[in-house]
Amino acid sequence: MNERKLRRNQNGVRYAKWGYLFILPFFLAYFIFTFVPQVLTIYNSFFENYREGLKQVGPNFVGFRNYVALFTPDKTGTINILKYAGNTLALWVMGAIPQLVIAMLLAIFFTSYRLHIRGQQFFKTVIYMPNLIMASAFSMLFFTLFSNVGPVNQLLQAWGLSDVPIDFFAYKGTVRGLICLMNFLMWFGNTTILLMAGIMGIDQDLFEAANLDGASSLQVFFKITLPLLMPILIYTIITAMIGGLQMFDVPQVLTNGKGMPDRTSMTLVMYLNNYLGGSKNYGMSGAISVIIFIITGLLSMIVYRSLTKKD
Amino acid sequence: MKKLVALLLALVMVFALAACGQSAAPAASTATTTEAAAPAEDAAPAEEAGEGKVFNIYAWNEEFKGFFEKYYTVPEGVTVNWIIVPSDNGAYQDALDEALLNQANAAADDKVDMFLAEADYILKYVDSDFTQDVTALGVNEFSNAYKYTVQAASDEAGTVKGVSFQCCPSALIYRRSIAEDVLGTSEPDEVQALLDSWDKFNAVAADAKAKGYYMTASFAETYRPFSNNCTSAWVDEDNNLQFDPQITAWMEQTDEFIKNGYTLTAGVWDEEKNVQMFGDGKTMCFFGPAWYFNFCMGNAQDPDKGCSGDWAICEGPAAHFWGGTWLLAPAGTDNPSMLADVMDTFINDEEVCTALVANEAQFSNNMAVNAKFAADPDYGSEFLGGQNDVAVFSAMTDNIVWENHTIYDQLLNEGLQNALQEYYRGSVDQDTALQNFYLYVNEKYPTIVTP
Repeated sequence: MNERKLRRNQNGVRYAKWGYLFILPFFLAYFIFTFVPQVLTIYNSFFENYREGLKQVGPNFVGFRNYVALFTPDKTGTINILKYAGNTLALWVMGAIPQLVIAMLLAIFFTSYRLHIRGQQFFKTVIYMPNLIMASAFSMLFFTLFSNVGPVNQLLQAWGLSDVPIDFFAYKGTVRGLICLMNFLMWFGNTTILLMAGIMGIDQDLFEAANLDGASSLQVFFKITLPLLMPILIYTIITAMIGGLQMFDVPQVLTNGKGMPDRTSMTLVMYLNNYLGGSKNYGMSGAISVIIFIITGLLSMIVYRSLTKKD
Repeated sequence: MKKLVALLLALVMVFALAACGQSAAPAASTATTTEAAAPAEDAAPAEEAGEGKVFNIYAWNEEFKGFFEKYYTVPEGVTVNWIIVPSDNGAYQDALDEALLNQANAAADDKVDMFLAEADYILKYVDSDFTQDVTALGVNEFSNAYKYTVQAASDEAGTVKGVSFQCCPSALIYRRSIAEDVLGTSEPDEVQALLDSWDKFNAVAADAKAKGYYMTASFAETYRPFSNNCTSAWVDEDNNLQFDPQITAWMEQTDEFIKNGYTLTAGVWDEEKNVQMFGDGKTMCFFGPAWYFNFCMGNAQDPDKGCSGDWAICEGPAAHFWGGTWLLAPAGTDNPSMLADVMDTFINDEEVCTALVANEAQFSNNMAVNAKFAADPDYGSEFLGGQNDVAVFSAMTDNIVWENHTIYDQLLNEGLQNALQEYYRGSVDQDTALQNFYLYVNEKYPTIVTP
């Protein structure tokens, strides 16, 4: 008995507790900063809880009333939250597709041993640079650039391309275009660096072998790079999507919270923010948060499934 | 050593992941529940000995701080603590509300002892238990203050809860040279006679257009002259949203002005409007009080491109005011007698009020002092080509009314202008713009019933 116990202790030095100890900080941080707020948000979404002036109304339990209110069509028959979800997705997709394509191209150029681009560090730094500017400052810059009396309109008029100033903020296409352009500029560097890391992780022998076998560049890309890059690509797409669904700062500052024109550039989080600003409506904004959470979860699952599907 | 490194790494991980955890949270919503704190109890009477050593003032900019530091002598042993939060996106009111809601539980030195508020949202504080009667504190002399400034700081029962250190009658500010071209005169009295009703104003707008000028430089330029004269509030007794005839009249006028090119689609504070103030600007009329042309028309005062001296003021088609800073008395302050003294100084101390007019380009809230300047033939504003602005403002104040205001005013006025701007810019039709306004109202005030 005693002997056996002794032996077991001698044989296996128990490292497990150190493992748990090392992952403990993450779980503590996750619990305090993510899990608790998340549960509280869900809890709050079932309450009527807002301020009118300085008068606090609630919190009173109202069940699913906030959710019902969100999905009730307004007088024109629009279910507003769906409209804003659509805006958010459109803004993300319009920005993310060019972002992925350009980032992929750049990543391939930078990692290609045949092209052997010089000054890589310099270019990597430059393309990452826009990400270092605060989104709000960047948006203010664009707002000023494209205003009716801004430099862009002055140039257009000076070159004779337009007689009257173009009101960039009066059209859905231009406002959305500007938002997508800004998101693209801010994030393509980040994506490029992630994808480069992914490509550099692929065994160079494979590329060499393919070249020896006479594969064309396109064949190399579709048969070797892309399949082996898939895990990183999925990670990139899903994180970009989570970020995209929470899009807030750029459109908020660019349109001064109005989501103009006709609320077509209002994202879900801007909508949430409308309820918080002034009336501190935690009930409704909690309900919107939960819906964003559900949408994010569903979309991530769909993207993950469709990209990892074995044929 | 290894253990130390391990500990360090673990700590780094905590911080790194804490940061990740936060940004990955599903939404930027903070889930804190703010409970209504019971309104602070009424402050102890002023005569009670032992006042607080720290006097906390909440403000949204440095303007009043400057006057306070120059003209008010702080009692010995008291430290004045300024809590200045810019008003962008309601940040000032958010900070102030938190402080007031927490007033009862705050330590004596952390209590709000005075706070500043603007006309647009003053009722939110005045019509609440978070402010207190200043007459009980010893501020009783309002005979020299302008009536509307006292009404604005009074609750429904007529209890005065604060004072304004300035009076802000808003004038029609016009370019003399353009008026000369359009109206054939630039003399304030004659210009006033030609622009003293909206019918005349609209007719002159057409003449100005014919000569290549804009009447105003923002679609919302005439909003306040109309909205200040409303005969009904934004909501009726059942909290239904209603449009006063004055608001509808503004909408009709603006519609005409935009269609005919008499004005621009810029907002009141937009750069597009501000460039019109330069010497080569094409706009005849602006509306604003003393603070507007002294501090917000920088382009007109530009030494190279400006046109200082080419301006004059008159009452215009409708008496109105714009802005103004009120000093309000929070319930529960631990410095009641100093609070009363500050208020009294800025409305009744002749020396201080005189200095405000002479040195600070303010129109003071003291009729006697203003009358002195109005009668002084040597007093005049350089910007206005030597015109005595105090005299014009003094004559205007009798016609200003403070009526039909609600705690909703600020956001509803802003919301309506923002929504209609899209219509004037041609993005949406008027019905859609109004629908968007109703959506905005529903988001901000769940209790208001929209059409």
